[in-house]
Amino acid sequence: MFYYAKTEALRMLRNRRYLIFVVAFPVLLYLINANIYGKQTDDQGVAYNVVLMVSMAAYGALASAMMSSAVPWATERQSGWLRQLQITPLPGWAIVATKLWTAMLLVLPSLLLVSVVAIVQQHVSMPPARWLGLLLAMWLGTIPFIALGLAIGSMLSADAAQPAAMLCMFGLALAGGLWFPPEVFGSTMKAVADVTPSYHYAALGWSVVGGGGVELADVLVVAGWGVVLGLAAAYLYRRATVRS
Amino acid sequence: MNAITFDRVSKHYGDVLAVNDLSLAVEPGSTVALLGPNGAGKSTSISLLLGLLRPTSGRVSVHGRTPDEVVRDGEMGAMLQQGALIPELSVKELVDLVRRLYPRPLPLDEVLELADLTGLAGRRANKLSGGQAQRVRFALAIAGAPKILLLDEPTAAMDVESRLRFWAGMHDYAAGGRTVLFATHYLEEADAHADRVVVIARGRLAADGTAAEIKAGVGGQTVRFALGGQPSAGLDRLPGVTAVEIADGAVTLHTADPDATLAALYRGTTLDVRHVQLSGADLEAAFLALTRES
Repeated sequence: MFYYAKTEALRMLRNRRYLIFVVAFPVLLYLINANIYGKQTDDQGVAYNVVLMVSMAAYGALASAMMSSAVPWATERQSGWLRQLQITPLPGWAIVATKLWTAMLLVLPSLLLVSVVAIVQQHVSMPPARWLGLLLAMWLGTIPFIALGLAIGSMLSADAAQPAAMLCMFGLALAGGLWFPPEVFGSTMKAVADVTPSYHYAALGWSVVGGGGVELADVLVVAGWGVVLGLAAAYLYRRATVRS
Repeated sequence: MNAITFDRVSKHYGDVLAVNDLSLAVEPGSTVALLGPNGAGKSTSISLLLGLLRPTSGRVSVHGRTPDEVVRDGEMGAMLQQGALIPELSVKELVDLVRRLYPRPLPLDEVLELADLTGLAGRRANKLSGGQAQRVRFALAIAGAPKILLLDEPTAAMDVESRLRFWAGMHDYAAGGRTVLFATHYLEEADAHADRVVVIARGRLAADGTAAEIKAGVGGQTVRFALGGQPSAGLDRLPGVTAVEIADGAVTLHTADPDATLAALYRGTTLDVRHVQLSGADLEAAFLALTRES
């Protein structure tokens, strides 16, 4: 099972689309934006090059979570690879667990890369404990998005899962304020952002870099979405693999 | 104990009856061909054996246990009709991935050797030809050293050379006392590679025997005569006779050698043989007739 997880991770790292959208894209966006707005500060006095680091890391993690789950999962289900695994001694739950675990591993490159670029190019510096808290929050916070990806992959065909995952990913990134600071939203958009898991996910990071630690409300919203989407994913997985 | 048992198994898909009251027992160590036209229920039978489908009625057992238990213990391997590979992985990585999921797998080199993939070990799955991909799927089926190997139309998409290499690998694998069941719609494949042929049509068992018996039964000739009320005992022991059918007072003897059968019928029995009809049919036509009428 460990080898299965390793192989799964390896194959995604060989996937060009994953590398471009997930690893290169957030870093590039960060470099552009941080060099334009980086010197300004937000209303709490945190420099934008730090706020943007969190936003772009969140976007990269969100994209990674969805890309390494939805489409590969739908494809494997449809192409018969899942059936090939089902007739090995590997239990059904281990297949999903491995998917979840590898998707979590694959979130790390974008989180770490954006952070490293922020340190090297923008000279961002924080106490080590704050870095650790940030990465941990941003890492665990991706679980709802992976669950969403797996739910999409269990529900839709590979052809339909591709645009659906893209739509969810961009929708969540946009509505959650990962691309534009949440302050520029009007009140309607702010209300929308307030119910998205992505806004609260990024807010976990924004609070940590602001030095305030995570807000309970953010944790609850992200965890709540995690539970709801996790149950949906489990239900859809069962439905997709039921043995009639 | 039987390697594979179908005990009055039926499988419906809605109104369609894919497998209809099928009973079958396969002994360990044998190589059995499941022969039948498209839509005969071959793939459904294999899915039932693997626990991928549940029978509507009846019972499927493998080594006396349920398919799920046997799959979990890694005693069964299969090459299904559809089964894409992971494009980003190499042949060797794919085989090793599946191999490591089994408790007692074959060594990696041996799997590659048996499937004739040693020269392709480093190639990515999306760079393989159709026949090569089929051979990889064969390798995945045998990687865990399963005692029972199921192959669903394994030579589809293979060219002549790939076929030859594939069957050689299959025979090498079966030689270790393992049980192999392969589905095919080619009579020649069943003839050349199985020690027993099970013919199914429309989900029902149509014939069961060695390849020679099936050929004689379906493709051999028949001797028909009126039996009336005379006893039929011993007719099946006449030379050349492979099957005996009695209906409406007439006997039909399927025979591989009608001359010998007739001679023995006249000289070796005391039967009053009347209204004799001899008929022969060509192999394919008879096979089609056999699978159509059932």
